[in-house]
Amino acid sequence: MKSNISTELLVDSHVKFIQSLGEDRDLTYHLTTHLRMNAVYWAVTALCIMGRKEALDREQMIDFVLSCWDDEAGGFGSHPGHDAHLLSTLSAIQILTIQDAVDRMDVPRVVKFISSLQTSSGTFAGDHYGETDTRFSYCAINALSLLDMKYLTPGTAVIDVDKVIDHISRCRNFDGGFGSGVGAESHAGQVWVCLAALSILGRLDIVDEKTLGWWLAERQLPNGGLNGRPEKLEDVCYSFWVLSSLSILRKLHWINRDALISFILSAQDPDDGGIADRPGDMCDVFHTLFGIAGLSLLGYPNLQDIDPVYCMPAKLIEKKGLKKTWLALPRHLS
Amino acid sequence: MSVNYNKNSPSIKTRYAKLHQKENKNYTPETLSLTSQLLSINPEFYTIWNYRRQILTEGIFPLKSATEVNDLITADLNLTMSALRQNPKVYWVWNHRRWCLEHVPENPGEDQSNWRKMSWVKELRVIESFLDADPRNFHAWNYRRYVLQSPYVDHTWEQELNYTTRKIESNFSNFSAWHQRSKVYTSLWERGINDEELKSIKNQEFNLIKQAIYTDPGDQSIWLYHRWLVGEGKDEELLRREIEMIEELLSIEPDRCLDTLIHYKTLLLRHRYSLKDRDECITLSSRLRQLDPFRDGRYQDIANELLSMPNN
Repeated sequence: MKSNISTELLVDSHVKFIQSLGEDRDLTYHLTTHLRMNAVYWAVTALCIMGRKEALDREQMIDFVLSCWDDEAGGFGSHPGHDAHLLSTLSAIQILTIQDAVDRMDVPRVVKFISSLQTSSGTFAGDHYGETDTRFSYCAINALSLLDMKYLTPGTAVIDVDKVIDHISRCRNFDGGFGSGVGAESHAGQVWVCLAALSILGRLDIVDEKTLGWWLAERQLPNGGLNGRPEKLEDVCYSFWVLSSLSILRKLHWINRDALISFILSAQDPDDGGIADRPGDMCDVFHTLFGIAGLSLLGYPNLQDIDPVYCMPAKLIEKKGLKKTWLALPRHLS
Repeated sequence: MSVNYNKNSPSIKTRYAKLHQKENKNYTPETLSLTSQLLSINPEFYTIWNYRRQILTEGIFPLKSATEVNDLITADLNLTMSALRQNPKVYWVWNHRRWCLEHVPENPGEDQSNWRKMSWVKELRVIESFLDADPRNFHAWNYRRYVLQSPYVDHTWEQELNYTTRKIESNFSNFSAWHQRSKVYTSLWERGINDEELKSIKNQEFNLIKQAIYTDPGDQSIWLYHRWLVGEGKDEELLRREIEMIEELLSIEPDRCLDTLIHYKTLLLRHRYSLKDRDECITLSSRLRQLDPFRDGRYQDIANELLSMPNN
């Protein structure tokens, strides 16, 4: 356990932590290649929220993304030589959008790859091996909308949008939440992907907002942290998944802001930077992003706005004309 | 996720480099064994699982008899089993296990479905052992629902209900089991049962949930389920009965009880509106605001909604 608990966001330490991630090509680096593309997206997004986008080299980042192209499948893998997957393809598109370099990739082939993954039930597979999950429906909707809303618009749509909505509505549970598939238990991460997809598609009307809002508000535990399901432990990553869901439903005031801020800040590593799942644990870039993104939604001072639907810089999403009706808490001055 | 750092780990980079043979479509027993080694070091290497399936279907199965294919599938089921014992929450491993089950060959000879049936039926026992180890593992629950859908598995809704009862009785806070119960009932109701049956099932259910509520009134999962059973409160008699039960409980666990009490009393207002009852709900909500200040914003919204409720 770290003894000194921080009471403010250690921006400089987190920037250094993120910069150090790619430096050591040690065993951990090789054991996490299956997540590398996602990790780059988490890193650059965290930097954007802290207003430090330039801390990672733009050209190097774009080169890395392009080096993960899987020409056989027509999508991006998580690392050079890895198979294309929807998870890494969405991250690639998000990174290139943030770096204003979407023109460097083969958009028509990527669109074809994504649309080829829709199954007859309306949901999406992550790759041609067929595992389906509402996460992948969100990846497809998010990615296609970032590339061009025409891919989701009647007349020019490349997927069956009504079927996606129908499938998501069949994943809805008695608690108002959503699971990974039809019949699956509600989970805050799955709730977020379903709400965000419905928000992009303008179909939040199928959500039972009161029941789901209650379920989400009850995720806050006495220590201020949020859990992802009833009777589970708190974890910093739910600071984004629960909060972004509440933000999409415009109910962020249904949890206690100050208690959650203290919880997230207490999970920082004051020596080496980064944020962990909970105080005293090992930090990683995943929890670093979702902790900082949560703080941004809560109106923590001196941060950039994050769009809870895309988990990308809000200004960028607004500029692309994709901003939805979500509501974050007002930003406090420092 | 835990990783086997000790097992041959220094050479992981070299081994991974060797897998560039993947591009050369090298589908031999040697590359198969290389994938086993890499996956035992890190079961999250999804590309290696993909490669393994390619090696099996393209390079190995075509040269083998049905019996040999069945043995190879059994070996892969064992491989995923040991991976899941160490890391029961890795999507890619569960995924590979599904692939194995779906690739059990048909038997040559008379009893066409024997191997397949045996594999699927065995799977139900396997999954129960995972749910015994962690009754909230949603991967395992998802997999259970997947296995139950197989035409090879005879499992009635009563059996599934009994299973969830066992899970709930060993821990009333097992929200995953309550969830599964809601699914069993929903599919039963969708298939259509008569009103009398429905009433008797619901009454049994109210008895079970009452036990759970009295055991741990602070657990949200139980209240969620209770609200689902009550629904929109069209049955006024039932609504009043449940309100009475909660009022008895109020002294033990006021905040959780109060939330649902306000909800039911608001439903009752829709049947019979009176300013007095509305004001009682508003008073209850301010009590709740004091008891549970974290969710103050929500209770304020509830009070505001009550204030603007039409008095028809």
